[in-house]
Amino acid sequence: MLDRLGTSLKDALKKLAGKTVVDRAAVEELVKDLQRALIQADVNVKLVMQLSQAIKTRALEEEPPKGMGVREHVLRIVYQELVRLMGSAGEVKLGSQTILMAGLQGSGKTTTTAKLARFFQRKGLKTAVICADTFRPGAYDQLSTLCSRINIPCFGNPQEKDARIIVSEGMKAAGSAEVIIVDTQGRHALEDDLIQEIIDLNVQTGATHRWLVLDAAIGQKAREQAHRFHEAINIDGVIITKMDGTAKGGGALSAVTETGSGIVFIGSGETIEDLERFDPDGFISRLLGMGDLKALVERAQESVVEGEIDVNAMMRGKFSLRDMYKQLEAVNRMGPLKQIMSMMPLGNIDLPGDAVDMTSAKMSRFRIIMDSMTGKELDEPSLIGSSRVHRIALGSGSRPEEVRELLKYYKNMKRALKGVRGGAGKFNMQRLMKKFGGI
Amino acid sequence: MFEGLREKLQKITTGLEKNIATASAEPSPVPADQEKKDTSLLGKVKVLITEREFVISEKEIEEPLSELEMVLLENDVALPVAEEIITHIRAELSGKHRKIGESIDTIVLSALRSALLNVLGEGFDLVSYISTHERPVKILFTGVNGTGKTTTVAKIGSFLKKKGFSVVIGAGDTFRAGAIEQIDVHANRLGIRIIQHQHGADPSAVLFDAVQHARAHKIDVVLADTAGRFHNRVNLMNQLEKIRRIMKPDLVVYVDEAVAGNDAVVRAYEFEKSVGVDAVVLTKADMDPRGGAAISIAHTIGKPLMFLGTGQEYDDIIPFSPGRMVDELLLEGA
Repeated sequence: MLDRLGTSLKDALKKLAGKTVVDRAAVEELVKDLQRALIQADVNVKLVMQLSQAIKTRALEEEPPKGMGVREHVLRIVYQELVRLMGSAGEVKLGSQTILMAGLQGSGKTTTTAKLARFFQRKGLKTAVICADTFRPGAYDQLSTLCSRINIPCFGNPQEKDARIIVSEGMKAAGSAEVIIVDTQGRHALEDDLIQEIIDLNVQTGATHRWLVLDAAIGQKAREQAHRFHEAINIDGVIITKMDGTAKGGGALSAVTETGSGIVFIGSGETIEDLERFDPDGFISRLLGMGDLKALVERAQESVVEGEIDVNAMMRGKFSLRDMYKQLEAVNRMGPLKQIMSMMPLGNIDLPGDAVDMTSAKMSRFRIIMDSMTGKELDEPSLIGSSRVHRIALGSGSRPEEVRELLKYYKNMKRALKGVRGGAGKFNMQRLMKKFGGI
Repeated sequence: MFEGLREKLQKITTGLEKNIATASAEPSPVPADQEKKDTSLLGKVKVLITEREFVISEKEIEEPLSELEMVLLENDVALPVAEEIITHIRAELSGKHRKIGESIDTIVLSALRSALLNVLGEGFDLVSYISTHERPVKILFTGVNGTGKTTTVAKIGSFLKKKGFSVVIGAGDTFRAGAIEQIDVHANRLGIRIIQHQHGADPSAVLFDAVQHARAHKIDVVLADTAGRFHNRVNLMNQLEKIRRIMKPDLVVYVDEAVAGNDAVVRAYEFEKSVGVDAVVLTKADMDPRGGAAISIAHTIGKPLMFLGTGQEYDDIIPFSPGRMVDELLLEGA
C-alpha cells in the first residue's frame, strides 16, 4: 500500500523529467502526490498544507539554476523545504548530564532508556539509570534485567509508590555517575496529576535534557501531546522508536515543530544496540518513500570496513563473485539485500524474488562454498567448469548442485544489477547522487 | 471520548446544511410552458413533485466534503479510508431529491451516519460468544510492541471474571524483560490463575500448557498473552503462526492503540493476512478524544471492534458498540 504511494510520487516526478519549462499542471500534480505521501506518513495535516503551498510557490516562481533539469529543481525544493521544517538533529553532548525520559504509555521509554545507557557507556561515560515508573507492574524488573545485561547500575524500588522518593534516593545512589538517565512512567498529556509528577521530577533532578519518546506510528495526536509535554517540562529533544516497523514517523515532525527541538535518536529494533543517531536526510527520504541514499552509503561504510563494496562498479555491471562475497559478509550487518535496494532512490527495480529472499542459513552456506574457490575463480566466475565445481564442492563439503545454485544466484544478481544501470529515460542514479550530495 | 472528532463533525454538518439550504432557496427550474401543456393527471403529479423537491448537486457539496475529508485526516483516519467515506457520502447526497417536509439535517446526518456505520461494521459481544461456544474458549492476543496487550489481557480477565466466568492467563510473552513479572502481578491482584514458564521459553509451549490446565480444571476462558511483534518480521510472524497451530485459539484478538496514525492500517492488514484476526481491541482511547484509528482499522480488515481501553485501571474497558459510537460522534451534547 505504501510502496504504491512512493511509486505515484515517482510517476509524478517522471512527468517533469526532460522538461525545460516548469509545467504548472505537472507541479500541481506533484504537490498533490506529495501531500498524499506526507499525510500517509502521519505528518500533521496543517503542516502538510503549509509545506505544499510553499513548495508550489517556489517551484513555479524560482528559475531552475543553469544546467539543472526541472525535475531535479523541484525535487531539490521539496527536499530543502522538508529539511527546513525538520531543523537539524538534536544535540547530544558527551559529558555529565541528567536525562529525563517522558512519553506516552507503550512508546518504548524503558527499552530506549536501556539503549541510551548503552550508547553513553560505549562512549566511555559512567552511566546510571533510575527507574521512576512506579505504576506498571514489572517495569523495574524490565529495566534492571536490561541494565544487568550491560553492567549498568539501575536504581529503583518496586515497593515504593512515590516516584519522587525513588528519584531522590536514586540521585544520591548514582553519585559519581556522569550520565544519569531517569525512566518515568508512561503518561499522556491529559492526565493532570501525572503531568504534575513529571514537572516535579524535572525540578528535582535538575535535568539537563528532557527527551520525549514517541512511537513512529503515532498519528495526528503527536502535535497535541508534544505541545502539552513541552508546556510542562520544556522538551528539548525527541526520540522516535519502533522505526523498524512500517510506520514512517511523520508524527515526530509535528512534535519537533511544536517543541522547537530536534530529533536526537531513532530506535530501530529490539536489541539494546538498536539505537541510531538521527539523520534528517535519511528521515526525509523515508517519509517520501523515495529511498535513502545517504544512509545506505553511511551504513555500507560502517559495515564494510575493509574492502568496501564499490557501488559504482556494481552499477556498471562489474560484479564478480568477490563482490558478492563481500556483499554477503556485509549483509548481516546491513540487512537483507532487498532492504538495501529499497534504500536506493529507484524503487522500481525488479530483482528476481529468489535473489532477494535468501535465508541467512543459505547465505552462510554460500560463503563457505566461496571460501573454497581460488582468487582467480572469484574474479572470473566464468572459469568455473564442471571439474572445478566438483573440486569446490569437495573442498567446501557441499554438493555440486549447491555450487551450481550459487553460480546461478550470482548470475541472477549480476543481471539484476546490470538492469539497474538503466537505459535512457530512467532515473539516472549517478546524477541524482551528485544532486543530493550538493545540497 | 471522541469529543474532538464530534465537534468537528458537527461543524461540518452545519456547513453542509447551509450549502444545501442556499441551494434549495433558489426555486427549482420548472419550465412555465410545461405546466400549460401537461394537463393530464400524470403531468400534474409530475409537476407537483418537481416543484417540491430540490436536487442536491455535486458541486454544492464539494467544498464542505473536502473540508470533511481534512477533518477526518486530522483525526487520524487513514487516507484511503477517509477517501472512501467521502465517496460514500458524495454518492449518497449528490443528485438526491429532497422531499418537502424532510429536513436538511436529517439527510446530511443520515448520509454521514450511514457512511460511518458502513465503515465501522458490527460490534462484537464477547460474553454471548463465550456463552454459546464450547469451553474452554481460547483467546489469543496479538499486536505490535507497546500497544497494551498485557494490560488488555488483565482488563479482559477482570471483565470476564465479573461476568462470572472462570479465567486462566497464559504468559506467552517470554521475550520482553519484565513481561512475565508484569502479567504475574496483574493476575495475582485479580486472583486469576496464571500459567508461566521462564524467560525465553517457547511461547507455544506455555500457551499449550495454559489450555491443558483449563481443560483439566474446567475453566471457561483461556487468555493468551503474546510478545509484541512487528508485522514485517517474518520469523516472529511464523512463531505466531506456530502458536496458533498448537493452541488452536477460538478467537484471535488484535490489539492496537488509538494514537496510531496511518500505519495502523498497514499493520492491521498484515496481521489479518498472516494470522487472521477475529476481533479488535483498541487501547489508550482515553489518550486523545479522537476516534480515527478505530474507523481505519475496522474498515481495513472488516473485523469488529470488541473493546475500547480507556485508562490505567482494570475497569477502564468498555465493550464497543458502533451504533453508540456514531451516535456519540454525531449527536450534540451526548
